[in-house]
Amino acid sequence: MAAAGMILSVVAISVPWAAAILAAVTRRQARAIGFVAASVSVLASALLLHAAPVKTSLGEALMVLFSCLAVVAMLVIPRRDCNSPTVAGMLFLLGSTLLAYSTENLLVLLVAWILTTIPFFLPQLFLARTWRPRLGLLLSSIALGLAIGLIAANSHGMSIGQLKGRSPGGITVFGLLIAAVIFRKGICPAHAWVADAAEGGPAIPTALLLNGHFGALLVAKLIVPLFPHATHDLFPVLSYLALATALYVAIRALTENSPRRLLAFLALSQSACILAGLESRTAEGMTGALVHWFVVTASTMGLFGILRLLEVRFGENLTASQHLGLAEHAPRLAVFFVIFGLALVGLPGTLSFCSQDLLIHGTLASHPQTGLLLPIAIAMNAVSIFRLFTRLFLGKRRTGFTVMADALLRERWILTAGVLFVVLGGLFPNAIVVLRPVDVETVEQVIDSPAHPNQRPLERAVSNSQTPSKSAK
Amino acid sequence: MDSLQATLLFVVMAPGVVFGVLALLWLLGWAPTERVLSRITGVTFSASIFALALIVWKLGATGAPSVTVTLGNWFAVHDYHFPLVFLADRLSLPFLGLTVVLSGLIGQFSATYLHRDCGFLRFFLLLHLFAFGSLLAFAAGSFDLLVGGWEMVGITSVLLIAFFQQRTAPVENGLRVFAVYRACDIGLLLGVFAMHRWAGTASFSSGLPDLTGTQSVTVCLLLLLAAAGKAAQIPFSGWLPRAMEGPTPSSAIFYGAISIHAGAYLLLRIQPMLTQSPLTSALVIAIGMITAIHGTIVGRASADAKTSLAYASLTQVGVVFVEIGMGWKWIAVAHILGHATVRTLQFLRAPSMLHDYHKMHSAIGGELSPTGKHLEDLIPEPVQLWLYRWALDRGHLDTILDRIVIHPLIRLSNLFAKLDTLGLDQSASRREEVALSMQRSASQGGD
Repeated sequence: MAAAGMILSVVAISVPWAAAILAAVTRRQARAIGFVAASVSVLASALLLHAAPVKTSLGEALMVLFSCLAVVAMLVIPRRDCNSPTVAGMLFLLGSTLLAYSTENLLVLLVAWILTTIPFFLPQLFLARTWRPRLGLLLSSIALGLAIGLIAANSHGMSIGQLKGRSPGGITVFGLLIAAVIFRKGICPAHAWVADAAEGGPAIPTALLLNGHFGALLVAKLIVPLFPHATHDLFPVLSYLALATALYVAIRALTENSPRRLLAFLALSQSACILAGLESRTAEGMTGALVHWFVVTASTMGLFGILRLLEVRFGENLTASQHLGLAEHAPRLAVFFVIFGLALVGLPGTLSFCSQDLLIHGTLASHPQTGLLLPIAIAMNAVSIFRLFTRLFLGKRRTGFTVMADALLRERWILTAGVLFVVLGGLFPNAIVVLRPVDVETVEQVIDSPAHPNQRPLERAVSNSQTPSKSAK
Repeated sequence: MDSLQATLLFVVMAPGVVFGVLALLWLLGWAPTERVLSRITGVTFSASIFALALIVWKLGATGAPSVTVTLGNWFAVHDYHFPLVFLADRLSLPFLGLTVVLSGLIGQFSATYLHRDCGFLRFFLLLHLFAFGSLLAFAAGSFDLLVGGWEMVGITSVLLIAFFQQRTAPVENGLRVFAVYRACDIGLLLGVFAMHRWAGTASFSSGLPDLTGTQSVTVCLLLLLAAAGKAAQIPFSGWLPRAMEGPTPSSAIFYGAISIHAGAYLLLRIQPMLTQSPLTSALVIAIGMITAIHGTIVGRASADAKTSLAYASLTQVGVVFVEIGMGWKWIAVAHILGHATVRTLQFLRAPSMLHDYHKMHSAIGGELSPTGKHLEDLIPEPVQLWLYRWALDRGHLDTILDRIVIHPLIRLSNLFAKLDTLGLDQSASRREEVALSMQRSASQGGD
């Protein structure tokens, strides 16, 4: 069984890498190569998820999500951008991200972490126009490298399983890991690179990079399991920073007129909520964070994809400072945009309604004062996304376009699939909620620890909650 | 599930299913004709009216006080549950009836009114979504589910305000209304959270959650914020005239009938809690009374028919709030039903108001005798002039909101923007300096 899992993991990771080389070498049929390779990854990841033990399947669930995202990216990317280097870069990013999700070894995690950033340093691939994205990614890699180096120096093993609960390297390593999260995730004050990357780099590959959510991955996979005791006292600081980021960036987005920057701020604000939920140490908050992870990923990819389609059709100088009236030319893209946008901020009937409900309950339960920032930030984000929608799509019809600008059949089908995911997920959220792919054992230790006697015991939570069966998956 | 429960589910779900199917087909490339769309709408709401009549008749025949449908939990984590409970009782049934009857009526009216309008399909899709949201809110057996319907009504309301999308004013007004809705909905979200936190449930299908005095007051205040926002009560009344930018049929059903009364419905639902606390009751009465006075004064200075109707509507909803605060629950319900139907008629006739007046004048063989002016008789003329100026700016409510909330937020956002670009600007200028110095040194070397 383990061998089969290993083979599937290797297939899921190596096929995109091999396809990346193939796309770069042949320089033909890039979209087809990318689509097939990403589809193979989806299949292999889905089989892995099916075989994975319940409640410890975070990596597998994320592998399925990210490879699905890569399939969407391959199909939605406009023809103008769909060249061999871009597809090869995205496939390389896919393979590296899946490697990070699947590994239990710290060194491999570090390698995967660095590999995902490499395309964003190469001028032939996804280099942004400004230096801040490179600095953010570089600092996060350095912080993680130092942390893992110190762990290697202080302990004998590099397996996450072996190091669980041992606080390897103590407070220094904990601090370095938090720094890595802050830089990679774009938590205040290191948030500016995210908007720069979205504005100055290619839209869809950047959306893929941001939706890897490596900061949250580091928290869920490394920080909480390895440092349960430090988590007690210091982890709330990260939560406060995440909530402050959610609010800061939400306020910042209110007057932003660059659509790409605005979307990046919204994605950042909403994904900061994931960290706040993970830190809430309540079953509601953690489950909400993981469901929200799915929602933010699907919605932001849809939004960035639609924005890029608009740029290709109507020019790169789109702005939210005036009404562009694009809905007259692209009514379906307008509808897709508003659905994805409102799905990002908790529209009832979409999956985010469920995730934000859980997030708000979890965060407010653990931090009654600072938790109040979360619904305020979400409300501001809703206003910002609606503002962007009205500015891009509504207003007086622009003249001078003779081409049919609405979604093509390929784009229409893939965006409809995305909409169905967020809507069907919203109608039947239990299908995703019961996945509960969190390794709760270490969290139980944290919460049951006498250092925090007033915390609600998650052990009760786990025993009371429905234990998902294989069939539920 | 018995036939009564299935019928209730049908009433709530029918418009939602129609919306979902039509929207999906449109996204995939199919667009129904006007005739098909109006027939589907007619059949849907006719069936819903019939089904609702069946529920009322069966409840009357059996003497049962309500019908409850429990579909388990939508999702559950730890001890937090999101129950899927639908409830049709003596309070929700009038609202459900009002929604299906008026939605069907508006559908039939709009088939002619919006004939050949480019947004015909959009309007009908949003009408179905609105009806679904309203029915969900009114038939919800828990505050969790009510939030879902409540927000759906808000979204459709905003999208219909921006219906005439080629003009900038409706779009900007839609955005403003959306902002007010979202701000006030925070109260609803926090109120529901508080109920879960303190009582372990937000379900009211078998009685309101059990809360202590302080807890009850806190929850009431939070829900009052949401109700005041939705019902355009003071200090949130400024959005109502902006909402008149939408097509007349949607103004009729939203701001004459259903949406504007959703806040009152929420307060009626929590009325046992309200009556426990004199503070919250007094606050509800005060808000309602001030809104009613504000509405009647500003309405008198409104220049267009729809805005003056909106303020007349606001005045009546203010009075409904007073009735709820006083504890006159069933008077408030009767008031809402009467007001909603009359106001819908007035809104629908607003575009042909002059024609109606001419017909009436012809019928009676002269001018109609003037009505109103009761307030004018009571207030001295200098005060009237001052009030007129005050009313022209609609009580300065938007200006105050702008100064207290919106402008500081925008200033803060601009400050953050400057902070974000601070490093970039410095580095850019430094690069420029370096480039300049290199050029200079190169030119000096060349010399």
